[in-house]
Amino acid sequence: MVVLGGDFQMPFYSRSRWGSLVLLGGFCLLFYLVSFTANAWFSLTMPRHQTLQLPIMFALGVGLAFGFSRATIKSAEWKIATLIFVMGTLIFWMLPRSVDWAAFDADFNRIMHVTMVVSGFLCVTALRGASVELRMAFLGMVAAMLLAVGFTLRTFDILLCSAFTISQQQETGLALLLIGGALLVAIVGVFIRSLGIHQANDGL
Amino acid sequence: MKRFLPPLAALVICVVVLWAWTDGFRAFTVFSYALNQAGPLPRAFPDAVFVNQDGATFHLQDKKKFVLVNFVYLDCPDVCHKINNRLEGIYRKLAGGIIPADLELLTISFDLQRDDVRKIKSYKQLFGEGLSGWTFALPEGMTQESFDQFLRTLGVWARRVPGTALINHSIYQFLVAPNGEIVKVFDPAREDDRQIIEELKSWVQK
Repeated sequence: MVVLGGDFQMPFYSRSRWGSLVLLGGFCLLFYLVSFTANAWFSLTMPRHQTLQLPIMFALGVGLAFGFSRATIKSAEWKIATLIFVMGTLIFWMLPRSVDWAAFDADFNRIMHVTMVVSGFLCVTALRGASVELRMAFLGMVAAMLLAVGFTLRTFDILLCSAFTISQQQETGLALLLIGGALLVAIVGVFIRSLGIHQANDGL
Repeated sequence: MKRFLPPLAALVICVVVLWAWTDGFRAFTVFSYALNQAGPLPRAFPDAVFVNQDGATFHLQDKKKFVLVNFVYLDCPDVCHKINNRLEGIYRKLAGGIIPADLELLTISFDLQRDDVRKIKSYKQLFGEGLSGWTFALPEGMTQESFDQFLRTLGVWARRVPGTALINHSIYQFLVAPNGEIVKVFDPAREDDRQIIEELKSWVQK
């Protein structure tokens, strides 16, 4: 959608051809290992699937954006549209029905992998050059979502994903609470730091 | 106005995809999705022949009374037995009252490969003697495909975990009226036994 909107600039780093090939090869190798070779291992338990495989794919997308390009989405409306898409994708892959299908069906799981990589990549390109407020609002929403999902999985005594067990569901909930909490602490830290920078600038 | 279009379009796309995937934000799990897909209540209980713990075949419609139907498999390591222990509690509270005159319990096995009449008879005996209003049964004359279709029509999610004896499944309990229509679906994960008993009484005494 962003590309169709004509608002996407993707200048690549002036890296040597070999450097780019090594980076691309590394990305493809990692994707292959996580999505194909180790997929059965990752899909065996819910904590592995939701708190390892899914974030690894997102991180691969983030790494791709940092390592390969200075791609930026310029205008605020396309930044917001991209971040809404990323949030929608994250919500979709947190739904118990999606998690179940991803655990049952390796091809469906691969759709998750691809959308996670794309989301990670788009997330960086949308937040690059964005105001601190927009970054914090987005990351705050992600943290809130992780905490809400974590709380639900941790406290529900009902099996939500038929592919896994209640104890795995509760372990995943705890892990998401910790990740969401850590993200929230980091956001608050950045907020306090940015307040300090603003005050220092006002004093000049 | 043009500035609002990209975020609005992204929001609409996301909401539509999530709406379609969750059956209008009503089904977030495979269990509730399968139940919703079966259609609204009341609806007919799909016609099938069952064989009980004594080897006698029957149709549900032959009972001519309310029947509370649930599904288990006997090699289940956990939840099926917990659900049946709760059902036993419900049975004991209603026995001599609406059970067995107006209401019967029917527990059907999912496992066409491992469960048989001998196993379900022994399983029933674990709950003690004198449970005349509680039948344990297996589907009769059904292939795995036709049984899967029966479960889909009913709204029950069941899936065998590859390489194991485990079957992941819904734990819904279906209250079938004497006319063969499902009038109420209980979710024992969300409703306690007292609520289920009250609802059963109110349906039977209507």
